[in-house]
Amino acid sequence: MAEEQVPPDPSIQQRLADLTDDERLVLAKVADIVRKIQYGTVVLVIQDGKVVQIEMAEKFRLR
Amino acid sequence: MADRSQGSVTLMSDRGRPAPKLSVEHLVKTRRSTSGETVTAVDDVTFEVHQGEFLCLLGPSGCGKTTILNILAGLDEPTSGAALLDGKPIPGPGPDRAVLFQEPALFPWLSVVANVEFALKHVGVAQEERRTRAMSWLENVHLTGNANAQPHELSAGMRQRAVLARALACDPDVLLGDEPFGALDAQARELLQNEVQRVWVESEGRKTFVFVTHNVREAALLADRVLVMTAAPGRLLEEVRIHAPRPRNLDDALVARVVSEIHEVLMGEVSKGGST
Repeated sequence: MAEEQVPPDPSIQQRLADLTDDERLVLAKVADIVRKIQYGTVVLVIQDGKVVQIEMAEKFRLR
Repeated sequence: MADRSQGSVTLMSDRGRPAPKLSVEHLVKTRRSTSGETVTAVDDVTFEVHQGEFLCLLGPSGCGKTTILNILAGLDEPTSGAALLDGKPIPGPGPDRAVLFQEPALFPWLSVVANVEFALKHVGVAQEERRTRAMSWLENVHLTGNANAQPHELSAGMRQRAVLARALACDPDVLLGDEPFGALDAQARELLQNEVQRVWVESEGRKTFVFVTHNVREAALLADRVLVMTAAPGRLLEEVRIHAPRPRNLDDALVARVVSEIHEVLMGEVSKGGST
């Protein structure tokens, strides 16, 4: 029921087109990490509405 | 010492990456128990540590992490497998690898500054330079006012700070720590953790640190890589690579998350091993 009350999202393409250059840069960096690691955590540190740091921990099972 | 002062030649591995500073290859260590049985302390452990890395070996009590550190320090030998420094078998202890033990091993008959100077003498620092260098390191660990005190006059935290100053004054390539802050109160531990982080950052990739700990928070706070070991016999279970700037804080979201994940893995091992 709750899902029906959420207004429909604009198309993904539109949302991507609306991104600022800074936002694209952050997303590109996050995508790089996601492509590189199999298991882990990514943390974005935000100050004054801007991503100032991207931190990451990557896990490997050794046995 | 002449070899070290010339600067070490960077060895390149087959793939073009610099050869590891330390490597442990299929290391096995067994011991004979008092009842005559053979006990396996470390079972087929393999890992590398590259120059400039900060590695923490983490595991439940009795998992063999101290044994591995002692072998890297040259204080013990593998039963089989190999432990290498710059690609060569570790011949024994050496001034290129300083060791911090849990109990501060200061000479009780020497003052704090004389303890540091003794180590500097041992690595060949000229007499006229020793006092300045010793005092400079004592200042870094906030012990200037206690330089002339005897070790028994200091608190446990201050003694461990003196040991850290003595180790770092000798400018070792490798710093090995065997739960060096385990017996300290929270404030003393934090001060020393910060000091170790500062020294490691300022070495700009020149110094390699390997610490053994059972303190998950300490590992997540300090290390680039955490190797989590199984309960005895010790094997490697999981590796966590942490990419976060220093100095880190236990409240940092990534550190907190890593602590919680490793803690979960470790608790599973502790319950399996039946040790504390």
